[in-house]
Amino acid sequence: MRLGTILAVLALLLAACGDSKSPSKRVIAVIPKGTTHEFWKSIHAGALKAAAESGVDIAWKGPPKEDDRDEQIKVVEDSVTRRVAAIVLAPLDEAALATPVAEAAKDKIPVVVIDSDLKGDAHASFVATDNEKGGAMAAERLGTLLGGKGRVLMLRYQVGSASTEKRERGFLAGIAKFPGITMVSDNQYAGATAEAAYAAAENLLQRFPELDGIFCPNESATFGMLRALTSVGRNGKVKFVGFDASAKLAEALKTGDIHGLVLQNPFRMGYLGVKTALDVLDGKLVERRIDTGVAMATPDNMTTPDIAELLNPKLPENVR
Amino acid sequence: MSDSNAVRLVRRLGPFLGLALVLVLFTALEPDRFPTAVNFRTVLTQTVIVGLGAVGMTFVVVSGGIDLSVGSSIALSTIVIARLLRDGASPAAAALAGVVAGGVVGVVNGTLITRLRIAPFIVTLGTLQIVRGTAKYLAGEQKIDAPASWLAGLMAKSPDPSWLIVAPGVWALILLAGFLAFVLRRSILGVHTYAIGSNESTAVLCGIKVDRTKVLIYGLSGLMTGLAGLMQFSRLTVGDPTAATGLELNIIAAVVIGGASLSGGVGGIAGSLVGALVMAFLANGCTLVGVPNYAQEILVGAIIVAVVAIDRSKRGT
Amino acid sequence: MEGVEKSFGATRALSGVSLDVAPGDVHALIGENGAGKSTLMKILAGVLTPDAGRMSLFGSPYRPTGPLDARRRGVAMIHQELTLAPHLDVEANLTLGTETTTFGFVRRAGRRAAIRDVLTRLRLADLPFDTPVGTLSTAVRQLLEIARALLSGARVVIMDEPTSSLGRRDVERLFDIVRELAASGCGIIYISHFMDELREVATRFTVLRDGASVGTGTLDAVDDDALIRLMAGGAPTTGTRAPSVRGTPLLVLDGLEGHPRPTEASLVLHRGEILGITGLVGAGRTELLRAVFGLDPVVSGSVTLAGIGFSADEGPDARWDRGMGFVSEDRKHEGLMLDLPLSVNLTLSRLEPVSRAGFVDGKKLDAASREWIDRLGIRAAGSNVAVGSLSGGNQQKVAIARLLHHDVDVLLLDEPTRGIDVRSKAAVWDLLRSLANAGRGILVVGSHLPEMLAHCDRIAVMNRGRLGEARDASTVTAHELLTEAVSVAESRHE
Repeated sequence: MRLGTILAVLALLLAACGDSKSPSKRVIAVIPKGTTHEFWKSIHAGALKAAAESGVDIAWKGPPKEDDRDEQIKVVEDSVTRRVAAIVLAPLDEAALATPVAEAAKDKIPVVVIDSDLKGDAHASFVATDNEKGGAMAAERLGTLLGGKGRVLMLRYQVGSASTEKRERGFLAGIAKFPGITMVSDNQYAGATAEAAYAAAENLLQRFPELDGIFCPNESATFGMLRALTSVGRNGKVKFVGFDASAKLAEALKTGDIHGLVLQNPFRMGYLGVKTALDVLDGKLVERRIDTGVAMATPDNMTTPDIAELLNPKLPENVR
Repeated sequence: MSDSNAVRLVRRLGPFLGLALVLVLFTALEPDRFPTAVNFRTVLTQTVIVGLGAVGMTFVVVSGGIDLSVGSSIALSTIVIARLLRDGASPAAAALAGVVAGGVVGVVNGTLITRLRIAPFIVTLGTLQIVRGTAKYLAGEQKIDAPASWLAGLMAKSPDPSWLIVAPGVWALILLAGFLAFVLRRSILGVHTYAIGSNESTAVLCGIKVDRTKVLIYGLSGLMTGLAGLMQFSRLTVGDPTAATGLELNIIAAVVIGGASLSGGVGGIAGSLVGALVMAFLANGCTLVGVPNYAQEILVGAIIVAVVAIDRSKRGT
Repeated sequence: MEGVEKSFGATRALSGVSLDVAPGDVHALIGENGAGKSTLMKILAGVLTPDAGRMSLFGSPYRPTGPLDARRRGVAMIHQELTLAPHLDVEANLTLGTETTTFGFVRRAGRRAAIRDVLTRLRLADLPFDTPVGTLSTAVRQLLEIARALLSGARVVIMDEPTSSLGRRDVERLFDIVRELAASGCGIIYISHFMDELREVATRFTVLRDGASVGTGTLDAVDDDALIRLMAGGAPTTGTRAPSVRGTPLLVLDGLEGHPRPTEASLVLHRGEILGITGLVGAGRTELLRAVFGLDPVVSGSVTLAGIGFSADEGPDARWDRGMGFVSEDRKHEGLMLDLPLSVNLTLSRLEPVSRAGFVDGKKLDAASREWIDRLGIRAAGSNVAVGSLSGGNQQKVAIARLLHHDVDVLLLDEPTRGIDVRSKAAVWDLLRSLANAGRGILVVGSHLPEMLAHCDRIAVMNRGRLGEARDASTVTAHELLTEAVSVAESRHE
């Protein structure tokens, strides 16, 4: 039977694709929001470092369709049936992921939430950047650059993403301290991908031909805005503060197209996420809230060792 | 060439055989974690949304049509439910309104297709965008938080009361699928659905009110989509205007894997449900075995093509 | 061509046909519907291969391997259904399949002079090359077909009913062109039913009857009567059956006009009567039945069933409801749902008697189907087999059984015996007669005159959209009917 042949081949393929892990080690599932952003690669690297130090395995799996809440719920559920030792999760939605996390906790699988907060109290700890502080930092930087006056635009990231909403809130609160600055737009969303952000940014730049400052709350929005600015030749002329790092953004910081990048420490987030999960497994008491810190990179300080490491994290080979 | 009865039987059993092979395969690869009650309960719950959509879509596909707007329609339902709950409506009223919203989209699809005489693919390609946009407008481009209600329990893997064993949503799927399978096979509406899909000009010639029947079919499918939207809401507990993006393709894939022909006249509810289960078990099994996402996507794509190819060769055309 | 034979399964389409065409000759090929003209021409054009016989072209043996080979050797066919691609422009259509290419890209410039030359010969010198063919009139498209044949260097051109969709002015232009082509040394085979047209353009003729050539000669030497006698052959000249008892009027058509056909049709169908409608293919017989059944819109005139008319927005469902049923000539595409079970095909128009509360009762469905399977002697393995697996005759019985299950008063049947074997034919006619005897009215469209004369009570002829007077089948002759069918209606000369 042909069907039989095909399935036999599939079985071999599956077996070949499967993890070649030693079964004795404990497995910690690390579930990001997506897998393509640089940011998540740094988290992966941090998680791997923690795992190597503690002798556990990492199961790294994002939702097959990024920014799809239901898909991420499935990954959490499947991790529970897989009987992993613990889950480190960056929830796509603060409400939608609460139920599966509560079910995991009920099944005695501790969950450590990283990056974005989650409703409820089923998770053991929340390891993340103080996003509001990061937003305020960006406002401070932009306000100083503009000398306290001008027209400023903020391109929001996405509906329902708690971490970026906090950054946006922190930024708006911070910018309000400069009475000479007017916010011309703060109600547009960049969307999940850099491509969507690019389109949204183009439209915004078209609408506001006279701008003095721009803030974007994450990597893809920052990158999309950078491309849009470059394509209309306004790069460098508008003061631009972004959030998160990638090779391209670091390059733009060097050339003066970007004037400030708020840097989180994703490597540390991944590292501390796994370490905290292990602490919980070992029965240690952990903090409910663990801050991983933020820093501001500017064209002037970008070569200092601390900032350079955050800007260009050296990812180990095993991170795709 | 025309089907002999033996070929018909193979066609009907084919999807079940495929499901059995998927189950055997993953049981062999993951004997400890795959064939467990907890895992099966999980997968069944994960199948509910695609399954409900596929049951409705089977009617549409058998009639020779297609509905690309179901993903958007599911999102619209979650928004309608969340908004009503937020504004103080009772959970039952909100749920009903969500289901009806899906039905309305279906009736609009059917009416546009029959009145404007535009191909279903084009009409629903349009409503896919229109409905998604409407959902975003109703939601103010944000997800809508709703107060907690018993609706969340519809998709709870550990149901309350516990004698239900599986989530109420799973039972809803099983009962509705059983009833609608009977409707499709045995009701006058069902026979007319096959007739229209098999040969529309004959159906016209036999005095079937083809336009009215099509509106009914899309309306019925829309109600099922609305119900899928209710289950999606139950799972997310929020109204999400971006939910179920692209889900229509999974639903259509389930119907096709289940043995339906996109040119109409062939297909059945049981097959489509099995198709949905095959997809869900594949995704689940791949995760358990540790197959990365990209390999899983390639695999599902290859299976869709392979299933249809095998089906064609069985029919000898 | 000499002694050419061709069979399709058990059906012998051609049994010894001979035909010769000289350069400069316009040769008329005449015969009733189904006499084998199309099969013969398809063999000549390389679409079919003959089972026996010899063909030669300019003295050397001719045995084309396919249409392309035939075309390369200079034989081109102008089809009845035009074969141009409507979205492509004039030039692309003319060079389709024979494009000259450079590295796979079409090189257009080289052929333009030749195309312009051919178009000028066809009096289309002003036609821009980039006109999409779909926007052109039928007449111009027909000429483009000829242009395509000429471009490929055709020396034998076959024209199948080229005037069937042309107005009088275009017909004259076409005839001029045909005569010029012949004068330039082409041999032309011209198929038509219209005697005066043939006399206008052709010189010699061959008559086909039942797949054999039964006469050949010069047109000037014979009169129309003699030709029609050759076509009709020795078949019974009038109906042989005793006149049946005619009941009250059942179906009345008054000045029915559809778009584009019928142009004018009036008739009265009585209870207990089989009324035949004959005429040439394309005369509008099918269109008449479709208009009566509400499948095509009625432009003017009325359809009255048992004294009550149908309104314009009533479709086939209203016809069924009031006891009228229709069997299409196109079983495969319109009449039946081949991949659905026999039982469903049979009961589809009226599922109520086999249902309970909106659900079909499997036992009742099976019982109803078996009843008709038995009564009509349908050979099927059961009521559940796909109808496509049955033979043509049995499929036809299922299509008619649908009307019986529905228990209609008026049966509209389009070519009910086409493509089925002799025994099935007899069975179908017997069935129709018993239905008529039971007081039903039957309207049958058919082409084969002997068959129609033998089984109908009255017969009317359709000619270019007009339905003639229904005449008593026991007194009218095949000769008279054929004369009426092939005569050119007065209106064409206006």
